[in-house]
Amino acid sequence: MEEIVAFLQGYPPFDDLPPAALASVADQAQIEYFAAGHDILRHGGPPAEFLYVVRKGRVDLLREEAGETRIFDTLGPGEAFGHPSLIRSQPPIVTVRAHTETLAYLIPAATFQRLRAEYPVVASFFAASALERLEFALRRREADADSALFRMRLRDLVRRPLVAMSPEATVCEAAIRMRDEGVSCLLVDMLPYGVLDAGTGIITDRDLRNRVIAAGRPDSTPLREVMTAPAITLPADSLVFEGLLLMLERHIHHLPLTEGGLVTGIITNTDILRQQSNSPLFLPRQLERATSLDDLRSYTDQVAETVGALLDAGARVSDIGRVVAVAHDALLQRILRDAEAELGPPPAPYAWLVLGSEGRYEQTLRTDQDNALVYADEHPPDAPAYFEALAARVVEQLVACGFPRCPGDIMATNPSWRQPLAVWQSTFAHWIDTPDEEALLRSAIFFDFRQAYGALPAEAALRPIVARARGNTIFLARLARAALRNPAPLTLLRGVALERHGDQKDLLDLKLRGTALVVDLARLFALEAGRTETSTVARLRAAWPEASLSEGEAEALVSAFELISLLRLRHQRAQLERGEQPTNLVVFPRLSPLEQRELKESLQAIARVQRGLATAYQTGRIA
Amino acid sequence: MVRFFRRREVPAFIRAYEAGPWPDPRRLWREVPYVVLDVETTGLDPRRDVLLAVGLVPIEAGRVQLAGRWSSLIRPPDELLVGASSIRVHGLTRAELAEAPPIAAVLPELLARLAGRVLVVHVAQIDVGFLNHALRQGYGAQLRGPRLDTARLALTLHQHAQILGEASRDLPMPAIQLRALAASFGLPVYAQHDALNDALTTAQLFLAQATRLEQQGGRTLKALLRAGGV
Repeated sequence: MEEIVAFLQGYPPFDDLPPAALASVADQAQIEYFAAGHDILRHGGPPAEFLYVVRKGRVDLLREEAGETRIFDTLGPGEAFGHPSLIRSQPPIVTVRAHTETLAYLIPAATFQRLRAEYPVVASFFAASALERLEFALRRREADADSALFRMRLRDLVRRPLVAMSPEATVCEAAIRMRDEGVSCLLVDMLPYGVLDAGTGIITDRDLRNRVIAAGRPDSTPLREVMTAPAITLPADSLVFEGLLLMLERHIHHLPLTEGGLVTGIITNTDILRQQSNSPLFLPRQLERATSLDDLRSYTDQVAETVGALLDAGARVSDIGRVVAVAHDALLQRILRDAEAELGPPPAPYAWLVLGSEGRYEQTLRTDQDNALVYADEHPPDAPAYFEALAARVVEQLVACGFPRCPGDIMATNPSWRQPLAVWQSTFAHWIDTPDEEALLRSAIFFDFRQAYGALPAEAALRPIVARARGNTIFLARLARAALRNPAPLTLLRGVALERHGDQKDLLDLKLRGTALVVDLARLFALEAGRTETSTVARLRAAWPEASLSEGEAEALVSAFELISLLRLRHQRAQLERGEQPTNLVVFPRLSPLEQRELKESLQAIARVQRGLATAYQTGRIA
Repeated sequence: MVRFFRRREVPAFIRAYEAGPWPDPRRLWREVPYVVLDVETTGLDPRRDVLLAVGLVPIEAGRVQLAGRWSSLIRPPDELLVGASSIRVHGLTRAELAEAPPIAAVLPELLARLAGRVLVVHVAQIDVGFLNHALRQGYGAQLRGPRLDTARLALTLHQHAQILGEASRDLPMPAIQLRALAASFGLPVYAQHDALNDALTTAQLFLAQATRLEQQGGRTLKALLRAGGV
């Protein structure tokens, strides 16, 4: 009996139940043995009377589609079936067939219903679809995380009452008020007075320094001339982590909180810093203090450590990517400014573009550089030489900070990728109009661009060219076909699960056969819908209303992407801790049962979207 | 004379047990109720050694019913309890056994749980021998009904496999130890030396064997009895 409890304890959602509850499950359980090929549940047959948990062996889930029966899932030890039919007391919608001889624990309906009623974790785990389970797994990871960042709401950090003044008050009066109240910022009550609504402004001690004293303004200056209005705010029930991200991205230290459209509290970056010692909020200060290349190098080490801390705190990989993007952008800006100081002011406006994963805000470790440089069409003759020197210096310093050169030479030091704006525009247009292999390859890197520095409005000039892909069915179809050339490795996975032939078969590349599939799909959908977002998650969420996927599929892809990315990042971090080079390869059978299941369900979600895409684009017919 | 007197005074629980009815061998094996039994003893000789524990799980509709599991320790006669060196082998302590009910108090409940069911035992000779010894001594009775031995079933299935060419002729007979057999089916083995856990391991082995026999065409209780009846 203890063995049954111990077995169940190894698998979700049972691993979340107290021992007494598990003992009562084992108490009421039944045990059945099925011959290979036996139909345990039959599509349209009698409703399930039990929740079945595989103890030994494997079962196939089969679905009738267009008159043919297709295996769409295989379950192994610790995995459960029968619950959809059991919960609704309706005939099973799938046939469950023993693939091998199978021993199963059967949990009677009454016991199962009692568990669902008593333990929300059981109810949500068995709530219908695999898609919801993916989302659930993500949320549980966050709930598990031992960090204030993902448990606490901003509201919980509010420590002091609001202090507000009229926009007509002078900066001198404001400074006195701030001193008396012991605060570092004031709210500015805008019309209609007496109500701190969406228009509320803010004035901080930094504003008094930078906009008043340093700007030589008199202390009789009214607040309305130097305040920020409306202030950047967040709803008070936002997670602390969201506040942190916003502060980092907007370079602000004070954040008014709103409830029902009114400002009800204010928090500062120190309030958040108190919650976590290894906070990314410390990073900007580190960078400011850096005086040498060694300091910059140690700053990037600091960023890597912050990634680890955020990972431990339960952050989603997409959120970690945003923090890293802010941190690395700040480094890049610093290096570019230093270069300008060294080489003299640029002879023409330019833009420094980051590409690939950095462009998508998805860089989590220091990876190879992918960058490019755009400069104004109207430039003096010495401009190309200047930008060549600039690029050489910046790329060199990035290497010194731990970002290796791009093996494919996609860097601003390559003359092909250091061009005037007009050349870039025609290059982008050419890739869309003549979508050969080369163009598809390039667009996958360059269309994920993001401007990280520079006065030239390159984003505004290049995005509309990329948007031309929308409606270009030849380009989109070629892109779709390219995306489908790499199908979700499900058969491989089943092979791993059912039989083992040699070492290579057990390995799975989490990037090439995982996250990259979603990245490619998201790019395609974004182009299809004419969206300008570059991050995979943002692309999927923005594109679905006008692309060939449903909202549910978009969310499933988001969850799949997050889960595989998380697995990959954890894996790489463990490798780094062991002093190994990080890779994307995992040995599938060595993953925990939970990880194996999540990975499988993630890949299934990807496969579903890929099938839909194949239908939408009839990719089989395009030569 | 004494013996005759005892026979006339057969207790109600014995009569109820003997009344059956026992399952019809023509029924499909899954429709038949079983009870899987295991005992712990001080040794192998029913005349010299005694029962220390009994554990069982019922099988209905082809499914082990954990809710119906039952087990009991049995207090040995006082002279055995004093020289309890062999008892420790089973992980049972003298204190535990001293508090257990005597065999006379255990038998009524045991028989009630065996009544009307096919008895399934691993190496039935020992378990059945001890229970029959106790029943004969106390009431002049013995176990009734169809009996299956999972060790015999294992040998028969092995012979079938050889005949069917699934196992080579010179492959040795499988070990008949319960744990080794369970492991050969890839079945989980429940904790060591405990009558209830061994009964559970035996029950799962039996389901696996019966399922395999069914694949070979033996769908009735009769077929099971032919392959592993004792």
